[in-house]
Amino acid sequence: MSQLLRSYLTVAMFGAIGVLLAALLLAISALVRPNRPNADKSKVYESGVDPIGDGWSQSQIRYYVFALLFVIFDVETVFIFPWATQLERYAGFGLLEMGIFVFVLLLGLVYAWRKGVLRWV
Amino acid sequence: MQLIVFIVATLMVLVGAVGVIVRKHPVHAALSLILTLFGIAVHFVALEANFLAAVQVIVYAGAIVVLFLFVIMLLGVDASEDLRTDPITAQRPLGAIVAVAILALVGTSIIVSRGILKVTAAGKAVKAANNLRDLARSIFSDYVFAFELTSVLLVIAVVGTVLLARKLPKPEPAVKS
Amino acid sequence: MLSTLLASDVVAPFSSPKIDYHALAPELVLAGVIVAVLLADLFLEESKKWVLSTIAGFGLLAAFIPIVTLAVSGHRARSMFGGAYVVDTYSLLVKGIFLLAGYVVVLLSQNYLEEGDYYQGEYYFLLLSSILGMVMMGSSRDLVTIFVSLEFLSIPAYMLAAWRKRDLKSNEAGTKYYLLGVFASAVMLYGMSLLYGDTGTTILKGIGAKLQNGSMSPVAVLGIVFVIIGFAFKVSAVPFHNWAPDTYQGAPTPITAFLSVASKAAGFVALINLIYVAFPHGGDVFQPMIGVMAASTMTLGNVMALRQTNIVRMLAYSSISQGGFILMPLAVAGGKSSGNALTAIVTYLAVYAATNLGLFAVIIAVSRKTRSGEVSSWGGLFSYAPLLGVLATAFLASLAGIPPLGGWVAKFGAFRAVITSGTNWGYALAIVGAVNSVIAFGYYGSLMREIWMKPVPDGDTAPIRTPSSLNAALMICGGATLALGVVPGIILRFSDIIKL
Repeated sequence: MSQLLRSYLTVAMFGAIGVLLAALLLAISALVRPNRPNADKSKVYESGVDPIGDGWSQSQIRYYVFALLFVIFDVETVFIFPWATQLERYAGFGLLEMGIFVFVLLLGLVYAWRKGVLRWV
Repeated sequence: MQLIVFIVATLMVLVGAVGVIVRKHPVHAALSLILTLFGIAVHFVALEANFLAAVQVIVYAGAIVVLFLFVIMLLGVDASEDLRTDPITAQRPLGAIVAVAILALVGTSIIVSRGILKVTAAGKAVKAANNLRDLARSIFSDYVFAFELTSVLLVIAVVGTVLLARKLPKPEPAVKS
Repeated sequence: MLSTLLASDVVAPFSSPKIDYHALAPELVLAGVIVAVLLADLFLEESKKWVLSTIAGFGLLAAFIPIVTLAVSGHRARSMFGGAYVVDTYSLLVKGIFLLAGYVVVLLSQNYLEEGDYYQGEYYFLLLSSILGMVMMGSSRDLVTIFVSLEFLSIPAYMLAAWRKRDLKSNEAGTKYYLLGVFASAVMLYGMSLLYGDTGTTILKGIGAKLQNGSMSPVAVLGIVFVIIGFAFKVSAVPFHNWAPDTYQGAPTPITAFLSVASKAAGFVALINLIYVAFPHGGDVFQPMIGVMAASTMTLGNVMALRQTNIVRMLAYSSISQGGFILMPLAVAGGKSSGNALTAIVTYLAVYAATNLGLFAVIIAVSRKTRSGEVSSWGGLFSYAPLLGVLATAFLASLAGIPPLGGWVAKFGAFRAVITSGTNWGYALAIVGAVNSVIAFGYYGSLMREIWMKPVPDGDTAPIRTPSSLNAALMICGGATLALGVVPGIILRFSDIIKL
């Protein structure tokens, strides 16, 4: 077993203990608490008001643009991270290349902004 | 131990992949996809590719599946379609036969060439701790041109989405903010 | 963990890769124009949007300048990024074809867009991006670069196909193109991963050195097959052609012209790069595969084209069948007539680009009047629009391969390549090709008969008024088709300079 997997084993054990702990607490409280359900109690919680319609309602396409922008800047981070750990080594060249990369991505953001899709209406 | 990790991760990948296909509810199918992508992340960890594992979880299991869910919710999940119709006769059995054939083909060719495929010296030289450094070296030397153009590719995605998602009548006048 | 990553940094200092800016100039100019179009679109008023097509057109011509200067500066290949990006005479030639084809498409689009009330800025942005991807493809000699180029040229094309948002046909076009396109990308990417796994390099030259006939691992064979299948989708070779007719019919006509010419040519360029650089010694694997694909592509394309009544759909099948002819020389690549085959394909691509774009220009011009895509709407075209009638006839004749037009030289080159290979495969392909050339007369001829002999439908003989940009496109394509046929020397010279 490699050193790496051994270190991840610690993580796994830690996670397992965490899950066990939570499960234990919930189980104990389930045993101890009184259980008297009624219609109001088992209603779906929707910010305190009575829920309207089905949970699976159709969402607006506007949100999709936000989700996509999120993905794009997520990908940007993926590229920035290796560069950030090697900042000094790639000095001027790296800065220039990454500068161009970020500049072009910013163009995408400016585009979305100018076209008015970032407004929250 | 490595074997156990491998088996668990592979099970995650396979169960998730089958789930994507057989689950009737599209949201459940998308969630099964997370299981698959997560299993792949575990494989990356077992191969000591920590950064790729993190990317796999953050970008794929996180962002991309969220995007999938948005699309599913956009289309409306209750708009169910009758999947039993066959546009082409005997499409399903044929599909199954082709799938099995491709699986057999890929499987046998990999089994046959397992002696030929070796970890190369370059592969051995890669230390887990140097993962990121080697990645950065690739990005900033051999693939720097492809890397720069990836940014334009991402902008194309933004433009295309905004274009297809915008309301159509009259192109709106530029927004004054 | 992170601290160890940062501390382990005691390796040789980094030296930035040498970048030959002259060699990259066409791409850089194009990238600059793309950014300019995007910014101009954002800050221009609606009434001034016509400037964008001018920027796009001149940008493409500006990108052509460094290609000329590079061609003049000698035949030495310039290799960058460890051999991942090579600028040689072959790549300059195909880049030139892509840029000129792109320029003609911009000319075709101008009035189509202004009259159709579409978003112009995004249109030209996406169109130029797709062209940039194609120009990159010409130089890509590395799996990663090829993949980025492929996505670069495809993703904008998916969106352009779905341009007319309110038209269901256009939606269908975009969706089909997109779904099959990404599926093909996935298959190809899997193939690339197998190739990389077997050879341990992504540089095509390195792969070529490792793959030898007879001693290839099954994994490498599978890799070659999958990669070729991926690009077979792009060039709509049978049996991976299903998307083409619906996409061509539903997309806006200038985009159909673009897809059927430039996008297809880019697929062929990628196939050439792969086959000539990465699999030159893998003929046992790809030759039979491409041979069968070529034969079935031209046959099926022709047979289906005979049955069409919509012009664009007929041209879609015709373009599938022409794709079969372009594949034909590839099936003998790697053998004795490798050089002939390369020249034949590049020649065919140039001629096909000029001819097919010209034919689409005629379609756009005629449909401005008739508002119809049926074959019968071309009835009596010659009687009221003699120039368009003659040009259409010339383009059709060139596609059919009648001398002295460009198509004849192209077909001649393709047949010469397969016959000089001296293999039974080559002879069989040549026979199939000859039979198909005859079948093709069937539908090209029926269109010609419509133009010259049939009466004008509903007797409307008002002349067609074509805007100047469309005229320019017609002149460029007509001139090129004729010149390539009359002076085949321009092209035959290539055989001396194109080598891979």
